[in-house]
Amino acid sequence: MSYRLPMGPFHPGLEEPYKLEMICEGETIRDAKLHIGFNFRGIEHLAETRNYIQLIALMERVCGICSFVHTLTLCQAMEKLTSIEPPPRALYIRVIMAELERLHSHVLWAGIAAKLMGFKTMFMACFAYREQVMDMLQAISGNRVNYSMNRIGGVNRDIADPDMILKMVNRLESEIARELVPVFTTSVTARSRCADIGVLTHEKAVSCGAVGPTARASGVPQDLRRDAPYAAYAEMEFDVPVETAGDVRARLLVRAQEILQSCRILRQALGGLPAGEIASSETKFVFQTASAISRVEAPRGEVIYHVGWKQNSRTPSRVHVRTPTYVNMPTVRWMVQGARVADAPLIQASIDPCYSCTDR
Amino acid sequence: MNLVDDVLAHFETTVSSPDESGVTRFSTVNLDLRALATFLMQAGARFVTITATELPRGEGFCLEYLWDSGGHLLNFSFSTAAKTVSSIYDVCEAADWIEREIHEEYAIDFVGREYEPLLLRAGDRAGVNLREVAK
Repeated sequence: MSYRLPMGPFHPGLEEPYKLEMICEGETIRDAKLHIGFNFRGIEHLAETRNYIQLIALMERVCGICSFVHTLTLCQAMEKLTSIEPPPRALYIRVIMAELERLHSHVLWAGIAAKLMGFKTMFMACFAYREQVMDMLQAISGNRVNYSMNRIGGVNRDIADPDMILKMVNRLESEIARELVPVFTTSVTARSRCADIGVLTHEKAVSCGAVGPTARASGVPQDLRRDAPYAAYAEMEFDVPVETAGDVRARLLVRAQEILQSCRILRQALGGLPAGEIASSETKFVFQTASAISRVEAPRGEVIYHVGWKQNSRTPSRVHVRTPTYVNMPTVRWMVQGARVADAPLIQASIDPCYSCTDR
Repeated sequence: MNLVDDVLAHFETTVSSPDESGVTRFSTVNLDLRALATFLMQAGARFVTITATELPRGEGFCLEYLWDSGGHLLNFSFSTAAKTVSSIYDVCEAADWIEREIHEEYAIDFVGREYEPLLLRAGDRAGVNLREVAK
């Protein structure tokens, strides 16, 4: 006999609203439906009533984890519409901020995953790692969540002491390689809760258009930093980790390897930070009547901004935002089919969902 | 890029040169969206999103379908005065949520699919979230 089991809108592990309605037989999930929109904010509409300065502040609030990525993607689109080029130092600072954000996002996710596995010691350890990154973000920008770093034509704040960040990166990389990665890859707890659980096949990942670590853990080797480089990524050397198992463990392994790759990128960007201005000296600019598209590889995958503007207008005619969780969440339906009910919270957390982004 | 040539050979559309960020824009009038989606999926392209923009003076909507091919973005845009357009959901699963969202925001009907349950909870009828609130 089958029965319907709702999980949410108050999630057992995450503090955001979302509902997974599971159809179960005994302890096995046969199918599931996803419901979002419990906190839909209409930000795209609100954006059409804001000038370009207010717009940056607004879009920074789409997400509390990857707030830098949202303003970066928006500013890149607006730079196309105004034909303004950021100076090289600004492009490097954007890479540094984006990778620090990826570090703190991935480590935060590892902590949440550890908690859902029942591994609370590792949860505490992950938040201690993350705190080091948050301290650096605060030292650079003065803020811990909404950094206010991006502007049209560059960034608002310089990195005065790259060596301080470099020391933190080296220390963090060593600690994570020595403690976090081995525990997640070899411990019985992690293996029993993650291996062969919540499998997303390569075919389903492709047909659902999955992005980011969720796609890469199912053998889809896509990463915009390499495939369509922006900021200063074309000058960075790094690998794109790909796993093929498609289970929770594969998603965990991809993110663990990405943490180490982020450290590698940070070392290059901090070591090669060019001298010069941090923003374009052009203070007067005009928006062309056009639409511009910008994409960035956020910690969770591709973020895309499609911005339309009419010349002499103070406000955009359209701002469309497609966030990574928006395309990754439908894959949860396929991941939970055949899984045990007890694994459902961890499976859906394994895509590192952001309901704030989804309910933009 | 071969895929662009293949698209031009198979569909009635014009194309502009890729801009600096690699976006290739196709303009079209009577595009068979479902055939295009099938064609692009078979060619290994990834569906990205649909951007809907309401045209001024009640002239309808502009719809832009974005696809990614190896880091290159393909943008297929067309305007429609009608409020109906073919759904590609059954040939491209990735289009499900964005079709539902556009239906709810602008009351555009994607023909050939169902919408329940509502994706966005702010209203109980289509078109309530962006179009109606603005009035």
